[in-house]
Amino acid sequence: MKQEAFQARHEQEWLGFERWLNAHVGRRAQDRKLAEEIIAAGQFPLALRRLCQQLSLAERRQYSTLLIDRLRSLAQRGHQALYKPAPPRLHHVTEFFSASFPRLVREQWRAMSVSAALFFLSMLAVVLMLQLRPELIHSLFDPQQIAEFESMYDPARVVERLGRNEGTDLQMFGFYIFNNISIGFRTFASGLLAGIGSIFVLVMNGTIIGGVAGHLTAIGYGEPFWGFVAGHSAPELLAIVISGGAGLQIGMALVAPGRRSRTRALAEAGVIGAKLVLGVFAMLVLAAFIEAYWSSIVWLPPIVKYGVGALMWALILMWLWRGGRNGVGRGAGG
Amino acid sequence: MIDTLRVAETPEGIFLQMRAAGALPRACAWALDFLIRCAALFTLAGMFAMLGTSGTGLYLLALFVVFWIYPIAFEVLFDGQTPGKMIMKLRVVTANGTPVSWIASIVRNLLRAVDMLPIAYGFGLTASLIDPHGRRLGDLVAGTLVVYADVPAPVNALPNVPALPSPIPLPMAERAAIIEFSERSARLTPERQEELADLLPALTDARQANAVRRLHGLAASFLGRT
Repeated sequence: MKQEAFQARHEQEWLGFERWLNAHVGRRAQDRKLAEEIIAAGQFPLALRRLCQQLSLAERRQYSTLLIDRLRSLAQRGHQALYKPAPPRLHHVTEFFSASFPRLVREQWRAMSVSAALFFLSMLAVVLMLQLRPELIHSLFDPQQIAEFESMYDPARVVERLGRNEGTDLQMFGFYIFNNISIGFRTFASGLLAGIGSIFVLVMNGTIIGGVAGHLTAIGYGEPFWGFVAGHSAPELLAIVISGGAGLQIGMALVAPGRRSRTRALAEAGVIGAKLVLGVFAMLVLAAFIEAYWSSIVWLPPIVKYGVGALMWALILMWLWRGGRNGVGRGAGG
Repeated sequence: MIDTLRVAETPEGIFLQMRAAGALPRACAWALDFLIRCAALFTLAGMFAMLGTSGTGLYLLALFVVFWIYPIAFEVLFDGQTPGKMIMKLRVVTANGTPVSWIASIVRNLLRAVDMLPIAYGFGLTASLIDPHGRRLGDLVAGTLVVYADVPAPVNALPNVPALPSPIPLPMAERAAIIEFSERSARLTPERQEELADLLPALTDARQANAVRRLHGLAASFLGRT
């Protein structure tokens, strides 16, 4: 068939296809609605397959470059439209958090245990060390920093809110979100440096948190401090451990990809890491919320705060340990 | 082969052609995004300043969104394009040519934190210079690629001249060359068209403007016009 005849036969179809593509990315609501209806009716994949066949024919018959370019451009745009990621659905989200995420954490138990060990052991070591040799705090912080967090938890000082020198709940919520979640994300990302970045962030955070906790306990400011941190400690510390684990497993994919190619191993680890980070994100939002609005309440007796803190630890550990065990939604994770 | 073209086969059996973008246009897109983000934060800061200390909290939330969520949300919701990439006509796609997914976009944008090391995107730049498709580390892990967004090809517009049967039978490749000359003539100056047409005196049996007309006529007949 000569090119002109071929073009004349299919021109209307191509114009229609292009109109549909324009409507699909169009900003007008009714255009998009019409486009969605066409895709729902299953006409679009059919039209794309026909177009792809026409493109192959045009290439094989060596029709002119302009025609082939036009068809290829239509096919590429159609491809983009057809394989557009579906918007996240509510049941995917709930299933991810109730089953896929805890299961993924358990699947990565090696990286998680190493991460937990690095973080909690360095924290514990510093706390214990400061009970025996309190003066060592000066090799961790400079005097100004020490004075700052001492004044925050001074039991003798009458304060409106715990855990801060000034600021409203909303201000602190914003601060915790920006600061803590950025740390969580960076802990994961720095794992790409052969895991060294994550190890560094984990040990450093363990040391800093342990330093503050150990010092305040040693000088007798323990009650307001532990009361403040009890509530949000579970989601926050476990989120740091999980983001560290997510970073470590990506570092392992780089260092020891096993029988896969390094690129392949990294790509797989990247998907796992991103899913873990989604969970970390949610945990840190929860932690920031508790930290800003609950932990800072002054008038609650410490026993209530310890109780709530213990409950949070139990619930979150239970969730990570049992979530998704019954096989709900297996293999269809977020 | 020194070529930035990347070809991906689709389930429909055609080959998608993607032209990978290098570090420079991507840096420009990043800089444009940076300006847009700064402008957005500046505006928001002005609004939140009226709310006092709680405004600071809202500002920090906005900072978080602009810093971490902005690239992810734009890339997934606007077909792989942040505003900066839109201006630079770039697009993020998965290596197989499909639009970037949520997970892939999260990976490539969080790992930006590593590409930025040690300073000024040093790792990202090094990786994109080594990789044949100019991918930074985040792209390598996410399996994504930044390509030039394709501009819709112009519709076939052949000069409207009566068809002229060829005096001698020509092989396929030569016919294709004449058709292409005819299709592209709109983008050539008349002088250049004549210069090219004068290379074929045996075929056209004419010179200059007449030779160009003859070639158009031949092209029309090769395409099947009568």
